[in-house]
Amino acid sequence: MKRARSLLSGPAGAILLVVALMSVAMMLAGTSPIDGFAALILGSLGGRSQIGETLVATSALLFPSLGVALAFRAGLFNIGAEGQLLVGGMLAGAAGAVMTLPPFPAITIMLLLGAVGGGFWGAIAGWMKARLHANEVISTLMLNFVAQYITLYLVNGPLKSPNAQGAETAWLPTNYWLPTLIPHTRLSIGILIAIAIALGLQFLFRRTVPGYALRAAGEAPEAARRNGINLPRLTWMALAASGAIAGMGGATIVTGELHRFNTELSPGYGFIAIAVALVGDLDPIKVCFASFFFGILEAGGLAMQASAQVPKDAIHVIEGLIILVLAARRYVSQRSERVVEAAAAS
Amino acid sequence: MNTLLFALVTLTLIKATPIVYAALGGVISERSGVINIGLEGMMAAGAFGAVIASYYTHEPMLGLAAGIGCGAAIGFVLAVAATRFKVDQIVAGMGINLICAGGAAYGLVLLFNQPGASQEVASLGNVGQWTLVGVAFLCTAALHTVLYRTAWGLRVRATGENPFAVKSAGLDPLRFRMLAVTLSGAFAGLGGAFLSIAELNLYSDGMTAGRGFIALAAVIFGRWTPFGALGAALVFGLFEALQDVLQGRFSWLPPDALSALPYIAALVALAGITGRVRAPASDGVPY
Repeated sequence: MKRARSLLSGPAGAILLVVALMSVAMMLAGTSPIDGFAALILGSLGGRSQIGETLVATSALLFPSLGVALAFRAGLFNIGAEGQLLVGGMLAGAAGAVMTLPPFPAITIMLLLGAVGGGFWGAIAGWMKARLHANEVISTLMLNFVAQYITLYLVNGPLKSPNAQGAETAWLPTNYWLPTLIPHTRLSIGILIAIAIALGLQFLFRRTVPGYALRAAGEAPEAARRNGINLPRLTWMALAASGAIAGMGGATIVTGELHRFNTELSPGYGFIAIAVALVGDLDPIKVCFASFFFGILEAGGLAMQASAQVPKDAIHVIEGLIILVLAARRYVSQRSERVVEAAAAS
Repeated sequence: MNTLLFALVTLTLIKATPIVYAALGGVISERSGVINIGLEGMMAAGAFGAVIASYYTHEPMLGLAAGIGCGAAIGFVLAVAATRFKVDQIVAGMGINLICAGGAAYGLVLLFNQPGASQEVASLGNVGQWTLVGVAFLCTAALHTVLYRTAWGLRVRATGENPFAVKSAGLDPLRFRMLAVTLSGAFAGLGGAFLSIAELNLYSDGMTAGRGFIALAAVIFGRWTPFGALGAALVFGLFEALQDVLQGRFSWLPPDALSALPYIAALVALAGITGRVRAPASDGVPY
């Protein structure tokens, strides 16, 4: 009984839950589940371009999910991946529109600027937490809105391309686009960068001292503090790194798929990333597979909406339910707040 | 000048009211020891439920009741998750936010056959709106009285500080948390209903626009007290109103940058106050 329960509260349960609830959502919309799932699967895995779109979504989800997982591992809630994605993407798009360098350094600079932008956005919350003890949940949430409106202001004002109809930066020249990974799809090599980051994080967690300190801070903050780990410093660095990964994700969307920046960059990837990180058990490698699973839902959801008339928003309800179910597991030491404060006071 | 001041004051009251309701919900929930990040979703549920009920019955009062009911129902979900299943409250709250926003968007397509926004419905009108503004102040006083002048309030606060002490007094702390979080949802639902059928007469996707999160900042800024939360919500409402008034007076100001104002205000407030205030000792800790 206990084993069955622990299995059901894990990824297997999540998938079962998705299938059951999707069926309900489809029937409510007047579509038989068989037709609905056929549309979802065909729309996400039914051919080269469909698989391409699924992997595009996988890549877009993988960056912020790895960032969220990193912060979680350190005992921190980064709910600001959405804003970090936007700031990173905005910096990359703005730089790409004005640079005149050869392609390789230009793209590298764009990606790094994405990481700097997202990292800076995460570091604000980290600094507020470490120095001022401001709850990072609320600060990262607020920073999402600030990022959204500031980037919106910028693409409506200073960064707006004179040739553009809507609010967006100028298109990048084609040689500033990240190379395509699978021909005749929109998939860029950005996904390889994401996988490399996942492998790097796995190494960090398992084999390095900072990774150990980070996990210690997340799992037993009091013990970590007593063993000389500088919790305030670790706090802002973890949130900055978390934001940097998400921000680089924003930059890869800009140079890889969108080829310009606008605020429609992300349909909530930063929030879905929480579900992905939890389903992936906060393990970088498992998060890659979880991203693929959610990539299927995102890409297939669009197809399902078009061909089976099931509103795509049903997917978000299901993602939320997955989060709710998985929340029953312990991720973060519940007392971390006060321990960080104690560490700063001592 | 006086007309401008009058406009600013009235607009501040209207903009602050949904935040006040949600913040009162935040106070009661956190005082019982449950952090309610799901306030935002509960507001959306309340706003959507109110519009649906008003649409089908043409009775905005029933809409209001439905909004409160929807908020309470979602609050009950978090209450069960936080007590019986001892979930991580932040994670569960974010799940609830996704469910509510997605569910409302899904419902719009199913019921109105149009994405983005509902049709216009019967609203509470100007009188109803100002009544609810006044009721927000009454609710603040009522919650203050309940929390500080009744045995139940004392027990709720004790549950938020030390549930084990409540248990050793022969009471079940989980019951206080259940009711407190459900009530919290009802308040948030009322705030959402204010947005959709008092201030406006429709539901549109994203209309809560982070007010549930701002309310959480108001809870902290208000030091976890009803009147403190009311004051903080009024400050944040002022910034929302300022944004509108400034936009009207000085059209050269960029509207998008001004929209960031309330969120920046909440951030600054959070940065300025925390460290000097103390949360309930068991806030966010499952019992």
